Amino acid sequence: MSDPRTSASDKDDWLDRLLVAEAAASRDAYITDDGFTAKVMTALPPPAALPSWRRPVVVALWGVAAAGVAVAAPSAALDVAREAYRLLATVPVSLSGIAAAAATVLALTGAAAAYTLRVSD
Amino acid sequence: MAEPPVTDAQLIARAVVADDRHAFAELVKRHQSTVRACLRKLTAGNHALADDLSQETFVLAWRNLKSFRQEARFSTWLYRIATNCWLADARKRKEALLGDRLESVADDEDDPMPHVDATHADHARASSLRLDMERAMAVLSEGERAAIVQCYHNDLTHEEAAYVLNCPVGTVKTHVLRGKQKLKAALAAYAPST
Repeated sequence: MSDPRTSASDKDDWLDRLLVAEAAASRDAYITDDGFTAKVMTALPPPAALPSWRRPVVVALWGVAAAGVAVAAPSAALDVAREAYRLLATVPVSLSGIAAAAATVLALTGAAAAYTLRVSD
Repeated sequence: MAEPPVTDAQLIARAVVADDRHAFAELVKRHQSTVRACLRKLTAGNHALADDLSQETFVLAWRNLKSFRQEARFSTWLYRIATNCWLADARKRKEALLGDRLESVADDEDDPMPHVDATHADHARASSLRLDMERAMAVLSEGERAAIVQCYHNDLTHEEAAYVLNCPVGTVKTHVLRGKQKLKAALAAYAPST
């Protein structure tokens, strides 16, 4: 079957034969890595790191926003807190339930920690 | 059961989405030989320069990996970056070495293989072909050399070469034709005697 691509060479030409033979010989001669990849990897730009002040600033902004909402609508915030307490207070809590919840939280924390370590590795 | 080999596309996705440098290192390992060989051809056998440009090629590839749209094979995209690196460098240096190499080729025109022993003619002919080709390639203009390397050494079609060189297909064909005319003169010793 003929090559569907447009051939760049004219097989009748001696120079073509020479170029094709030389190219084939060069392709067959694999150039060993010899630390080339390592050199490239060290030359890559460092990963973009978030500035250290970013996280505390974001947390503080969320805190300010929450306080702002609580101050602006005190009755609504109180209602939400009261309803939440009522809901939680009416739920019967058993010792086994607490243990199951604690185990779930522990498992989730462990999984999250393992994932974080793997990603940052 | 053995795991199927990870494709270039999968490695690129990992490198782009998760900033995975191990995936990119694997891509470098896979393609370093072909990129370095291509640049050795383009630099007419200057291995040190070719390796410097290869390193620059992969660093640029890492920086621009997000812009790779898979409209060509990854290797072809790398050839494009490598050729651009070489062209930029050649323009910067004004090909200072080209003059010396041109003189060297002209000096050898009368007797391109003066030390060939008749009994080892075939072997010597094969081993000197690479060197003679490198010297002959230095005679070509940047465009001619790039077109010859893409079409013959990298075995690309004229269309793929046009993508790599960022020029029309007609220009590639013209460069190949003119380059071959010059190579025929420089490598006349290899022409079959009639």
